[in-house]
Amino acid sequence: MVHVYNCHPFASQQIVQVEQEPGLVCCGGGALFVVATGGCKVEAYNVEQEGCPFICRFATMGTVKSIQHSKMGDYLVTIEEKNSATYLRAYTNWRHQAEGKARVGVRLLGHLLRGASVRGGVQMEIIEIPLSKRPVAVACCPVTGDLLVGCEDTLVLFALRRQNQQSLNQSQQILQSTSQNSSQNQAQSPSPNQNFLDFERSVILHLPKIEPKQVALCGGYVAVQMELEVLVLKLDASSDPKTQEESSDTKKTDHIDDQADFMVLPRHQELLGDVAKDCDIPVSIENTGLEDGKGQYTLSYVLFRRFTPDFFQGCSVEETQLHSLQLYPLYTSNQSVPLEEPACVFCFFSLPNAGYLYSLKGGVELLSTYQYPEKVLKAVLTDHLLHVITKSALQCFTVRCAAVAARIVDPYIDTTMKACPPCSMEVCALRIQLFIGLRSVCVDGSHVILLSVADTETPEEPERTPQRRRLKLKEHTLLTGIFLAVGIDPATTPALESFLSRPFLGRKWTISSPKETSPAGHGWNLYVVDSVSPLTLYQEMVEYSERYAETNPQAQSLRHLLSEAHLFLRASLLRTEPSEQPRNIEGEAAETLQTDTDAPAERQTAAQTDRQEVEEALRHNCAQLGDCFSRGSQKDCHLALPYYRMSGLSVTEVMARNRPLPSSPHTYGPGFLFYLKHFLFEETEQTLSQEAADDVIDIFSQSEPSQLVSVCASPSMINLSPAKTLQILIHQEDTCGVSVLLTITMATMMLCLDDLPQYTQLMERHAEMLLVYRFIEEPRLLLHGGVGGRHTHIRPTRLTRQLAKSQPGLLVAAMVALHENSKVQLEQADHIFKELGCENCLQVDFWEAMLMASSQEAVIQELLFRLVSIYIDRLTNTTSDTHLNEPHTPSRRRPLKSADDLINSCSHYGALYPWLTVLNPAHTTSSQHQEALYKLQSLLCGPSLSVGSVVPLMERLSEETLWGFSLHLLCSTRRGQYDRSIEKLLDRCPQAIIAYANHQLQDTHMILWWQKLLPELCNRTRAASDNSILLAALKETLVVVAMEMSPTDFLELIPDDGTASYFLPYLLTCSQRHLMA
Amino acid sequence: MTTKTSLLKVILLGDGGVGKSSIMNRYVTNKFDAHLFHTIGVEFLNKELEVDGHQVTLQIWDTAGQERFRSLRTPFYRGSDCCLLTFSVDDSQSFLNLGNWKKEFIYYADVKEPEKFPFVVLGNKVDVTERQVSTEEAQQWCQENGNFPYYETSAKDATNVAVAFDEAVRRVLALEERTDHLIPTDTVKLHRKPRSATSCCS
Ligand SMILES: Nc1nc2c(ncn2[C@@H]2O[C@H](COP(=O)(O)OP(=O)(O)OP(=O)(O)O)[C@@H](O)[C@H]2O)c(=O)[nH]1
Ligand SMILES: [Mg+2]
Repeated sequence: MVHVYNCHPFASQQIVQVEQEPGLVCCGGGALFVVATGGCKVEAYNVEQEGCPFICRFATMGTVKSIQHSKMGDYLVTIEEKNSATYLRAYTNWRHQAEGKARVGVRLLGHLLRGASVRGGVQMEIIEIPLSKRPVAVACCPVTGDLLVGCEDTLVLFALRRQNQQSLNQSQQILQSTSQNSSQNQAQSPSPNQNFLDFERSVILHLPKIEPKQVALCGGYVAVQMELEVLVLKLDASSDPKTQEESSDTKKTDHIDDQADFMVLPRHQELLGDVAKDCDIPVSIENTGLEDGKGQYTLSYVLFRRFTPDFFQGCSVEETQLHSLQLYPLYTSNQSVPLEEPACVFCFFSLPNAGYLYSLKGGVELLSTYQYPEKVLKAVLTDHLLHVITKSALQCFTVRCAAVAARIVDPYIDTTMKACPPCSMEVCALRIQLFIGLRSVCVDGSHVILLSVADTETPEEPERTPQRRRLKLKEHTLLTGIFLAVGIDPATTPALESFLSRPFLGRKWTISSPKETSPAGHGWNLYVVDSVSPLTLYQEMVEYSERYAETNPQAQSLRHLLSEAHLFLRASLLRTEPSEQPRNIEGEAAETLQTDTDAPAERQTAAQTDRQEVEEALRHNCAQLGDCFSRGSQKDCHLALPYYRMSGLSVTEVMARNRPLPSSPHTYGPGFLFYLKHFLFEETEQTLSQEAADDVIDIFSQSEPSQLVSVCASPSMINLSPAKTLQILIHQEDTCGVSVLLTITMATMMLCLDDLPQYTQLMERHAEMLLVYRFIEEPRLLLHGGVGGRHTHIRPTRLTRQLAKSQPGLLVAAMVALHENSKVQLEQADHIFKELGCENCLQVDFWEAMLMASSQEAVIQELLFRLVSIYIDRLTNTTSDTHLNEPHTPSRRRPLKSADDLINSCSHYGALYPWLTVLNPAHTTSSQHQEALYKLQSLLCGPSLSVGSVVPLMERLSEETLWGFSLHLLCSTRRGQYDRSIEKLLDRCPQAIIAYANHQLQDTHMILWWQKLLPELCNRTRAASDNSILLAALKETLVVVAMEMSPTDFLELIPDDGTASYFLPYLLTCSQRHLMA
Repeated sequence: MTTKTSLLKVILLGDGGVGKSSIMNRYVTNKFDAHLFHTIGVEFLNKELEVDGHQVTLQIWDTAGQERFRSLRTPFYRGSDCCLLTFSVDDSQSFLNLGNWKKEFIYYADVKEPEKFPFVVLGNKVDVTERQVSTEEAQQWCQENGNFPYYETSAKDATNVAVAFDEAVRRVLALEERTDHLIPTDTVKLHRKPRSATSCCS
């Protein structure tokens, strides 16, 4: 089914005052070109100005069979006949033919050597383009101005060359020097705006099997249309000349062999992309470009489509004829036109009863099929619309080009951020405007140019009023017929009935022809129909949509109409920005001739305000589409979110738009709830007012009570009124039973109400472990922000603050659980504790707890380092004296875990080495200091801390105190520096040496007993023979050595000056033990 | 035949400086410029005419007479309905070259039946007193070469200019009424530069 809306895309119509009956018509660059029937004259009219004033007239060299205008280069190209010979010609500088009396220069292509045009100013010039085959069709590339000529079995591509002024002057000088009567040649300097064009033959494509009817060219795309086939090829310039083997030829013969038995005629065929190679049209390429041999092209197949007349559908061969081939470029506003290739290229072609629009870039794809209600003569694709003419009407269909382009421009389309109606959305007819006897249509910008030639049998009635009425009646029956033809019975569709009863020349349709007499004067007319601006059309569509919205807001039609309107706006946004640029380049000749050049700055700002208006309209449209999807069915309801986002509406505004009327039974749509949830759960940075927050609570208690807990936890909701919410939560608990999350949420409400007893009571309803589990489920009970990504600042909730005060253990456990479940990162947790003001207490508890829980090696190392550093801080900032005046750590409470707890429960904390007890003073320090010391010692004794990494930190500790010394000793011992450690220990605290040696000098280090310790002790006792501590140590050492060594080795060890009697008992023990072994 | 568009292509050939451009200017704009540039390549002008009740668009092609522009002008001989062979009565060399011009035209225009093709011969600059070519000489040449009509013109004082063009049109129309005269149907061919063509100017 084809949607038909009765919109008014046309604003006004003018009748062009043409004297002779127009034969051919074409347009471009703001001008309309009319060739009189069978004539050799072209008349140009300005379609941009009121009344389409005459610009100029010029003669052609033969009878024009086909005419085209190229925007790039502002030239015309014709296929002409003279005395049965066919010629191809390009007319340049035609705007300078104001009088029709000036001489016209003629030359062959390539012979750019002008006489009068260079000498005496600007002259119109005709470039004759010789061809070896008869030209059948021509096309100009809208991107480059290149020319494609379709001949009987070849396609010839000519590159447009714009001649450089300087090189031209040079050639001119050479000319002058050789000129005979050079004295006369006081050459005037040529006009700088002179449009010196030339063409260079660059490629010839040989397609021996075809008979082209129409050709098209755009960028590197070449399209050729035969009677029933369309072939699109892509030419790519490449530096290395590849030999194009005609593989398709050999392949094709196989193909025919296969099918020979069946004699199958190729039926409808659609081959996309590379597969199109398999069509039975071989193409070979002949590079003819002369420039440095660079102009090498390679060829690829893009699209092939073949139709066959369907006799069963009542079609004749003649009716199944293709027409209106077009390649259409679309630039996007971030492109610098025309330096870049267009972002999209479309291919359109048409049968009498259906049109086909393909997108070629980035994968060939059929975008839309247009089912025409009646036989279409010609179709023209534009940015916004597809204009088609039938014998009796101009019809406008919507196009999907903007939907394709939008997706190329913006990768975020089709996400939760942005949306755009799909490329596959059904097309519709916006308008069927009646005309009598239409023959041809062409479009330039917003001007649609129509040629109508009335059938001779249609009698013109002299009086106007009865004619009008008759027309209206005629329209009605005709349209009814059209609808019936497409399978719609207007009688059964009230909207259509009313549509048909409306007058067609509606309020927006004004006829401003300067002379009302002309239509009656002759049987033909040339109309310039001006399109309304996309914005105006958009507004009309919005008005329509409002009518739909009243009657049936759920209707698919409403959504469709708004989507169409959306694409309209997008199309004009795509175009507005760059549209200023190409004008300057395309129509440079036009620009220089027209005296009414308004200031470019003014135009710029006008374009900007235009753009702003369209952007504003787009936001409005997105809001409406948002409404549509928010209220619609489950299907596509998620689209409410991106459309509302693009609308720029605040949540409160969106909520207001979705508020049901008090009387209606209407509830909140799934799209709206989806949007709201997304807002509450993902976008944490926007807080709602209390009123709005309470509304949200109401909405969810009605529509999705199960979400209430999550909703309450949203940071956007912090302004909600706790009392009201509490009531709702209590009700929820009554209906659905107790749940831990509900309890926590209720407790939070109590906190907000400053009802601490109630809060405590609620919090005590469940075991702490259960609470921790729920916090993992809903982290936002504790943490706001930072969930979606790290860019938003994380902060503690009110509940978190309360827990820090009343249940620090629970908070620490919860934070650890959140971290281990990847709900919070270490830095974020740090931030939270900083916010809570417990950097030095609860945070350290958290780290210690994390050490117990975590299994991630990186995290463990980081925590070990942090803890070492914090313990060192504590040691240096507290004094070892009991009476303290500590400035830094106002530690109000004891750490959650004591050193003993940690040693017992956490593997990273090692048991203190026995010799440390000798060094650690028992009661001389504060408990805090002592705890820190024990924890640090324990970490140093533990298996995980890499001692090397904390050495720099240790430097902050002096060795003066014994505990300080003990830590350094621990470090050097852990790093294996036993020799030094033994010396130091003997220096500072010899009473610990045996405990130390017993613990540390084992296994491989056993030899240190005799290699280091024994000699040390001997030396030291020699120096201080009355030192009982050293002597005792010496004795102990000797006992060990005697146990470990052979008697001979032992003998060796005894110092030369030693008293034999002193060592004798040990030697004896040694020998005895040795004997026993 | 009457419905056929009457676009008549008339081409002016002759040595550089004989006054082709001046004749065309005189005929179309009725002006004369004593200091005209040499023509480079080919230019044309249209003029609407009514001849013996026929509405006719006369397309007058002015060519560069100088030898070095030959390659620029010859491609456009094709499709001509009438050729005005022009010399200057004060320049005997230009008269002697007429035969070469005729040959060049017939060759490049690819005229199938050269005997029947309408040529008109113009002896220009009759206002000049020092003549080098006499009327009799000129008439005799026309007689011998195909009985061409001969007009003595002056672009300077407008003598016989309009008359000559009227004659050209009449000749063409007469020919069209007699036969289904056709000029060959194939298109312009490039790269056909016969070596044989003789020099016109030097
Ligand atoms: N006295 C006189 N001078 C003429 C006449 N016709 C042309 N001239 C002058 O002769 C000179 C050459 O005339 P053009 O019309 O430029 O000659 P042309 O045949 O077009 O020459 P090319 O363009 O080089 O082939 C100009 O200075 C003219 O003023 C004429 O009838 N009488
Ligand atoms: Mg001249």
